[in-house]
Amino acid sequence: MSNQRQASSASQVPHLSPAELSYLYTSLSLPKTPIRPDGRSPTQFRPLTAETNILPGTNGSARIGFADGTQAIVGVKAEVEKTILSNETLARNDGGVGGEQEGSAAVGGHGSWVQMSIEIPGFRDDDALPVFLSEMMRESLVGAVGTDETSDMTGGLKGRLVINKRWHWRLYIDVLLLSQPLAYPLPLLSLTTHLALLSTKLPKLKSQGEEDPFFDDDWAVAEYLYPRPSLSSGAKSSARSSFVRPPVTLLVISVGENIIFDPNREEIAVADAVLAISITRDSEAGNLKLLSIRTVDPPSRLTQPGVPNSENVSMLGAVAPTEDVAVLNPATGEEEVPGVWRPRRGGVKRSVIAEMVKTALKKGGVGEEVLEGLEGVEVS
Amino acid sequence: MMADRRRINGPPGGTRPAVFASNLQSGTSATDRAQRQRQPSELRKIFLKTGLIPTASGSSYLEFEPSASLAAARANPKSLIPPSSALKLACTVHGPKPLPRSAAFSPNLVLTTHVKYAPFAARQRKGHIRDSSERDLGVHLETALRGAIIAERWPKSGLDITITILEAEDDRWWGSAPDSHDASWGMMNVLAGCITAASAAIADAHIDCLDLVAGGVAAIVSDEPSGTSTGVPKLMLDTDPAEHRSILSACVVAYMPARDEITELWLKGDSSKASLEDGDTRTGHEALIDGAVDAARGAHTVLAEAVRESLLRTVGQA
Repeated sequence: MSNQRQASSASQVPHLSPAELSYLYTSLSLPKTPIRPDGRSPTQFRPLTAETNILPGTNGSARIGFADGTQAIVGVKAEVEKTILSNETLARNDGGVGGEQEGSAAVGGHGSWVQMSIEIPGFRDDDALPVFLSEMMRESLVGAVGTDETSDMTGGLKGRLVINKRWHWRLYIDVLLLSQPLAYPLPLLSLTTHLALLSTKLPKLKSQGEEDPFFDDDWAVAEYLYPRPSLSSGAKSSARSSFVRPPVTLLVISVGENIIFDPNREEIAVADAVLAISITRDSEAGNLKLLSIRTVDPPSRLTQPGVPNSENVSMLGAVAPTEDVAVLNPATGEEEVPGVWRPRRGGVKRSVIAEMVKTALKKGGVGEEVLEGLEGVEVS
Repeated sequence: MMADRRRINGPPGGTRPAVFASNLQSGTSATDRAQRQRQPSELRKIFLKTGLIPTASGSSYLEFEPSASLAAARANPKSLIPPSSALKLACTVHGPKPLPRSAAFSPNLVLTTHVKYAPFAARQRKGHIRDSSERDLGVHLETALRGAIIAERWPKSGLDITITILEAEDDRWWGSAPDSHDASWGMMNVLAGCITAASAAIADAHIDCLDLVAGGVAAIVSDEPSGTSTGVPKLMLDTDPAEHRSILSACVVAYMPARDEITELWLKGDSSKASLEDGDTRTGHEALIDGAVDAARGAHTVLAEAVRESLLRTVGQA
């Protein structure tokens, strides 16, 4: 329990010795060519298996399993709810001043209509980690606002939930991590939520305008929450990109001068900086758009330091004083003895943040690769 | 029915005060809307004082300057509702103190942050139990501070940081309905205030840090001038959400000027539409982060002065 209290937004205090941490850090910070423990390239993701529509009782669901055995299930449920118009909005209906803004709460949607809960084994639901993760993912979900005036998704997900001025959908996204959180679970949960939302269907509306909503009871004609290109019009990859897609949150770490995506547990333990970057496809331009950035507390700040031989009493006189001399680590600006682990201190430079975002967003970069991979998953 | 028969309870669903048509004409007219009177890069004044809570090992109190529209509304009241609110918060630091016997060994200082809105802090009443946004603020604050504190100097110790928010910033002007860009923008200003205040309180408790870490906010806002519907999104520092029609994107940083490093970054919204000056090749989010860092540098000067006062007081007592 106390371990979890220490690790707030980071998953857990790593149980690695200072020597192991130092070894990992050295191999990950090799200039230009980091060597990852599992042999991946810096931008490569872990292999995963995915399936959708596995829970018949939900509007949409997905399961993703990583090769290391971590699995997550996401179920999306929708509920019709009456829109409560605030006093001020009502007041505008008869005041001539705000005529243009009239009832804009009912048009633009509201962020609180999307609810998210995350269940991680070993954590209470009010612990810092689940709260932080759900706020992070919900923020980018409701923050994604479409700019295309003609499409159905003008207000992004929030706008899509509006039925009419008096009624809206409320969306419950329930995320269940089935295994112990071996690595920081953010990438897994984000990818699973993305898939579940892609497969989410809402019943077709039969009523019109301001009537009380009335739905078609034929599930076969239900419409996708995120509209997709019709197959008859020849879905090309170019046309595909013009549709609004749910955002994806990528976990990026920097070690030395290297930038590494989708870190596993050992890699995140030695990270200098950890960033969660939410991206989505811009419906207009077709390229990627940044939605949010959050720093995650790197677990390397909580690790135990190694003791250099020159300070170790049991090694007294065994080493020449010239053998371990502290040198300046250019990435962190700290004096370090090579091969002796020091917990990280301080923050991250602005240039590193800019580089991380650029790598995630650039054309043909990691973000596009992930989004294309997820679109490739057969959503039945 | 498990009805409570011993007390006279209010209606379960809440009530709505009567609104009379005669009040509406003057009450919600667009002219009463708070307007930003400052330059885009001009910050609000900050009041920061340390050592106000004698029982804590370190404490601080922070207040932002109320906006000009609030002062005008107080001088010449038209409505009972204040047009904007300004941040007021108190921070206490307890520790470093030994961890309880049951706790596992920790080679570093164990930091616990606790951010709580007073029930009366915002226009919407907050409950006594921390909700998810308050917990989220606590995690952000912890990330910001942990990078600055030199934690290995206090093994097996704990440090509790408690922040009570007495008055919070609004998320938007109270009279306007939430639009599609609506989000909890006020929370970001609150976080920046929390970081600055906590940093002062930690210094007041004489805990070793790499540098004083200061919080700053910048936002990309589109204030359409009356008439036209599309305004040009502009970068502004230290935004009060009540003074702007639409905030597209905002960013808060915790920044250490001596090392030029960011310990906490929280950016959200669409920053790609910002119109920067000609010849400025930065992308929207880079400009936003730089703006927030500039705001944090401003807050750092106040912070340094408050810490100097705190030190003089300690020296005077000794």
